[in-house]
Amino acid sequence: MALLEVSGLVRRFRGLAAVDGLSFTVAEGQTVAIIGPNGAGKSTTFNLVSGLLGSDAGTIRFRGTDVTRTPAHSRTRAGMGRTFQVVQPFVDLDVLDNVVVGALFGGSCGLGAARKDAERLVDLVGLGPKRHGAVTSLTLADRKRLELARALATKPALLMLDEVMEGLTPVEERDAVRLLHEVRAQGITLLLIEHVMSTVRDLSDHVLVMDYGKKLAEGRYEDVARDPRVIEAYLGTETLE
Amino acid sequence: MEALPQTLLFGILRSGLYALTALGLAISLGVIGVVNFAHGEFVMLGAFIGFWLYVTLSGVSGLGPAVSPLVIVIGLPLSAVALYVLAAGIYRLALRPVLRQPELNQMLLTFGLSILAVNATSILLSPQAKDANLAWRFDLLELGFVNVTFARIAAFVVSVALVGATYLLLARTRLGKQMRAVAQNRLGAQIVGIPIDRVYEFAFGLSAALAAAAGLMLIFQTQVSPFLGLGTLLKSFSIVVLAGLGNLAGVIWASLLLGLAEQLVSQYVPGGAALRDGLFFVIIFLVLLVRPSGLRR
Amino acid sequence: MRRNLFGWAAFIAVVVVLPWLGIGSDRYLMLLANVMLMFMTLALSWDVVARTGQLSLAHGAFFGLGAYGVAIAHRTWALPPLVGMLVAACAVAALALALGVVTLRLRGIYFAIATLAFAEVLRTVALQFPDLTGGTVGIAMPPLFDGDRLLSYYLIGAIFVLALATSLGVRWSRFQYAVSAIRANETVAQVMGIDVVRVKVVLFVASATLAGLAGAFYMPFITHTDPNDAFDIGRSVAALVFPIFGGLYTTAGPVIGTILMRSLEEYLRVTPPWKEGYQVVYGLVIVVAVLFMPRGLLGLVGEVRRSRPDRRWAWHFSR
Repeated sequence: MALLEVSGLVRRFRGLAAVDGLSFTVAEGQTVAIIGPNGAGKSTTFNLVSGLLGSDAGTIRFRGTDVTRTPAHSRTRAGMGRTFQVVQPFVDLDVLDNVVVGALFGGSCGLGAARKDAERLVDLVGLGPKRHGAVTSLTLADRKRLELARALATKPALLMLDEVMEGLTPVEERDAVRLLHEVRAQGITLLLIEHVMSTVRDLSDHVLVMDYGKKLAEGRYEDVARDPRVIEAYLGTETLE
Repeated sequence: MEALPQTLLFGILRSGLYALTALGLAISLGVIGVVNFAHGEFVMLGAFIGFWLYVTLSGVSGLGPAVSPLVIVIGLPLSAVALYVLAAGIYRLALRPVLRQPELNQMLLTFGLSILAVNATSILLSPQAKDANLAWRFDLLELGFVNVTFARIAAFVVSVALVGATYLLLARTRLGKQMRAVAQNRLGAQIVGIPIDRVYEFAFGLSAALAAAAGLMLIFQTQVSPFLGLGTLLKSFSIVVLAGLGNLAGVIWASLLLGLAEQLVSQYVPGGAALRDGLFFVIIFLVLLVRPSGLRR
Repeated sequence: MRRNLFGWAAFIAVVVVLPWLGIGSDRYLMLLANVMLMFMTLALSWDVVARTGQLSLAHGAFFGLGAYGVAIAHRTWALPPLVGMLVAACAVAALALALGVVTLRLRGIYFAIATLAFAEVLRTVALQFPDLTGGTVGIAMPPLFDGDRLLSYYLIGAIFVLALATSLGVRWSRFQYAVSAIRANETVAQVMGIDVVRVKVVLFVASATLAGLAGAFYMPFITHTDPNDAFDIGRSVAALVFPIFGGLYTTAGPVIGTILMRSLEEYLRVTPPWKEGYQVVYGLVIVVAVLFMPRGLLGLVGEVRRSRPDRRWAWHFSR
């Protein structure tokens, strides 16, 4: 059964359609990557699916339930987690407590259980030694790790990752890919927005190419990367490996 | 009971100063992204400058009926420049440092400035309201179907001229275009090399200068008091909320709507003169209730 | 944080025995003690809303509503003050709920603007319905407990303890995590599963009710209310300047801020050229605090460790 079913999704900004009749499905356990040039509507899609933006038309179904009108926090509690491209930690809380927030509200557990969960996740992403540090002193790579731990704390069945690799060094990138493999091994379905093509190739079972708010192509990475339409959409912006 | 055409005319005349005041508020809010709770105090200070000018000019013998136009001719540039300089100073010393702080701190800062300005004026000048007995407050212009005081006409003409000039500035000049660009996309504007800091300073100064001009024209219609800022601010808020935050063009029709609504209510609703003063709240509340999605960030 | 709990218990003990330490016989000092507790309640309640990143400019108005609630209950239904206070508190809660539900789902600036407008429109409304509110003359009422300032002291003391418990309760529970997240970034807070609007509305209504209770005490205490006094914006200013001066987002901050600033006000009020213009000091304190000591005196002294909730007690209070 499809975990996530999006059909006919539309969102306009001042008449301009940022997402224009987009349909796709994500099967349970699958890893799907959304790629496309800047302004293709990838981030808007994420905001629509996670409920931060209301859609003008179309439906979003999660585990067969229509969540199109469900508020963002309820979607998180239902198992739809996400990260942000620009990481925004809660500055008044330390590293561990940032993760506790996710477990407490998104994961719907009591404080004791939330703390235990957070401890585990902080260790998992490799922030263990910095758990009581201030988030403002974290490096970008560490912030991305925190962002991931916080999203995992909400106990997602579907985890939407918005450019987790952006700004990382090649070494950090390799670590991150390994981490995501671990996350996948836990049975979490991943939906990624990704610019780094090696990541897309290494991680994804299925690739969705967006352009001008529409689906341009989809399929396995190898097939999509050879699609002339995809190459044309990318020409002048970036090239596929 | 007054006739409808007269009511409509008074409503339109009333909206002139509203637009002038609200445009300043909309500019500081739209361009800098900070709610200026001290905007009403800029108006109040402009009024005090006008009042001081009125007292000074009245002391000069032989001016007689020329005092009213002179207050406007000298007062407009004087108060505008004074408030521009004051606001630019406030921007550099107080506002700029909090621009990267949480919204709560920004709002607290301008609210604190408002309290500071009101009470400093009250201590240094006078807590009592004062009347400027300018001739134009009472001289009537006969239009056939209705008589209107020169004061109302003058306030409207000045407002229309200044609002028009401001729109021209926004549409045609380099600085104006930069201001609109910043209002539309802060990050983008920065990336294409617009000197954001200078634009902010100018926008804040301009908003204060417009407020000062409105304050100056206000002394022809009402008493001058350190406390006149709050009511002015709230009406401007209702206009800005109605127009949509950051929507500079919407300010004009929103002002017209408030002016006309107030005049119609006070004319045709029993006990309306009192209700009129609560209309601004009704507008704010209704807009937030009915159109929140259109107004969301 | 165990020490803190004992600290607050000790503070309450001091409040309880204070009248027996010599000031009980001094009419002025007892008046001041009553007023101090009242303003501490107001300051603590305002800070609870500030913790969600929201600027309420209506706390003076909720205070005034509480005052009018008691007065109208007395005048219209001849309700005794204590019953009237409950009625007033319910009325304030209902109005705060309506205002909160409409404005708190929007950006913070809308809330701030709406609360300021709300405060001012209440004054206008109160003037417009003289049958209900007594118009400009206002409403008079016999003194609370026949003017016994010791009894009234314990009544406002009880209300203060309620405010204190609310403030500490937020700090020592799940709420502390929610408000810290909301304050930092509402969008991210939502995605963490926090029902942001609900948290803000709940805390706003609780906070407004406390402010209303303070006002409901004030009215029979001074035996009179009128629109310009009840809806004086100065009280909204006091409600925010005390916590800002003492230290935002804390419990001790509003309490300390009230004691210090209200004492200063007491002095300035009778000292020319300040008199009513003493509020200039409030404006100055706000500006200086925001620019140079955003966490107030407590932040300066460095006594506030980061606003991390204490786990052991958090665990206790969440059960």
